[in-house]
Amino acid sequence: MLADLHFLARVIPALLSGAVITAELSVLTFLICLVWGLLVALARTNHGPLGWIAGAYIQTVRNTPLLIQLYIIYFGFAMGGFPLSGFMSGLLALCIQNGGYVAEIYRGGLQSVSQRQYEAGRALGMRRWTLYTTVIMPQVIARVIPPMTNQAISIIKDTSQVAAIAVMEMMKVAEVWVESSANTYDVFAGAAIIYLVLTSIAGFIGKVTERRLAFAQ
Amino acid sequence: MKMLAPLLHSYWYLFRGAGMTLLMAGAAVLPATALGVVLALVHVFGRPMARAVLQVYLFVVRGIPLLVLLTFVYYLLPLTGIDLPPFWGVVLVMSLYYAAFMSEVFRAGIESLPQAQWDAARSLGMTRHLMLRIVIFPQALRLAAPPFVSQCVSLVKATSLVSIVGLWELTMASREVVERTLAPFQIFIGAALIYFCICYTLALYGRYLERRSLVGH
Repeated sequence: MLADLHFLARVIPALLSGAVITAELSVLTFLICLVWGLLVALARTNHGPLGWIAGAYIQTVRNTPLLIQLYIIYFGFAMGGFPLSGFMSGLLALCIQNGGYVAEIYRGGLQSVSQRQYEAGRALGMRRWTLYTTVIMPQVIARVIPPMTNQAISIIKDTSQVAAIAVMEMMKVAEVWVESSANTYDVFAGAAIIYLVLTSIAGFIGKVTERRLAFAQ
Repeated sequence: MKMLAPLLHSYWYLFRGAGMTLLMAGAAVLPATALGVVLALVHVFGRPMARAVLQVYLFVVRGIPLLVLLTFVYYLLPLTGIDLPPFWGVVLVMSLYYAAFMSEVFRAGIESLPQAQWDAARSLGMTRHLMLRIVIFPQALRLAAPPFVSQCVSLVKATSLVSIVGLWELTMASREVVERTLAPFQIFIGAALIYFCICYTLALYGRYLERRSLVGH
C-alpha cells in the first residue's frame, strides 16, 4: 500500500495550513491563560466573596466538558444576538476551560512557597507588590513549569474539539479531506504526526525553560 | 419561567442521554484501569525492550488528541471489515487512550513508596507476588486513588467527544433537542449542569480519598 505521491503533495500543504490555525489557537490560549489563570489563582486566595467566585468558576469549568462550553458560547451567543466567529468562540471556550486548570497549577505553586517567606518579606517592610514580584513569583514560576508544560500539551490537543464548530483547524481539514478522498489512512496519519510534532515542540520548550530557571529553586 | 420551558419539556430525554454517558464511561473505565495497572507494572518491572515499547505507546497517546483517534476509528472500522458496533469501537479507543494516563497514575503511586518498604518485604523473604499483593499494592493504590478519580472525571468529560462521531449520549441528545427547540442556551446549560453533577460528585469523592490518604502520614 504505497501512498499516492500526488495525493500527498496536495494533502500535506492543506494539513499544514490547518496546523497553523491549530498553533495560533494553542499559543493564544496558552498566553491568555498564563495571565488569566494567575489572576484567578490570586483571587482564590482572597477570603471574601471574590475567593468564593474564583473557586466556583474553577469547579464549574473543571467539571463540565469543553465541547458543551463551546456549544454554549457559539450557539448561545448567536441566539442572544452577539454572534461570535468560530475562531473567537473557540478561543474563548479554550481560555475559559484551561484558565481553571492553570489557576489550580498556580495555586499549587503559591502554596508550595513556605509561609515564613511571606512573613520574612513583611518583616523586612516589603510592600505586597515587591514581595510578590521579587520573592514569591520567581519561585512559583520555576515550580509550575512542568505542570504548565503538560497543560500546554493538553491545550494543543483540546484545540481539535473546535472542529465541532467548523473552524478549519487541522482536525477539521483532515475530516474534510477524508470525506472527499476516502483516503482515511494517509490523511489521519499525517494529522497525527503533525500533532505529535506540535506537542513535542511544546514539551521541548518546557524542558529547556525548566533547565534555564533551575537557579530559582 | 417561559424561558426555561424548552428545558422543562426535554429534561427526561437529557437524563436518558446522561444514562448513556455513564454507561459508556463505565464500560471504558474498567478495561482502562486494568490495562493501566498492567502497563504500570511493565514500567516498573519490565525488561528494557518492553519498557521502550511502552514509552512509544505513552508518547503517541499523550501527543495525539482523542478526537483524532475516535474519528480515525470511525472512518477506518468499516474499511477493515471488522464487524464491531460503534459503541464498542468507541469504548475500545477510550480504554486504550485512558489506559496510558491510568498507568502514569499507578506508576507514580508505586514509585512514591519509600525504598525501605521494598527492602523490608524482600528481607522477610517474600516472593515478588506476595510482596506486591500485601505490601506494595495496598499502599500504592491508596496513594493513587485521588489522581485516579480525576482521570475518571476527565474520562466522563471526554465521552462528550463521541457525539462528534455520531454516537448518542448526553451531548448528542442535547444537540438533538436544540435542533427541535432552537433554545441552545437553556439546553446546553442544562446538559452542562448534568455533567457537573456527575463530575463534581466524583471530584468530591476524590477529595475525600485524598484527605483520608493523608491521615496515615
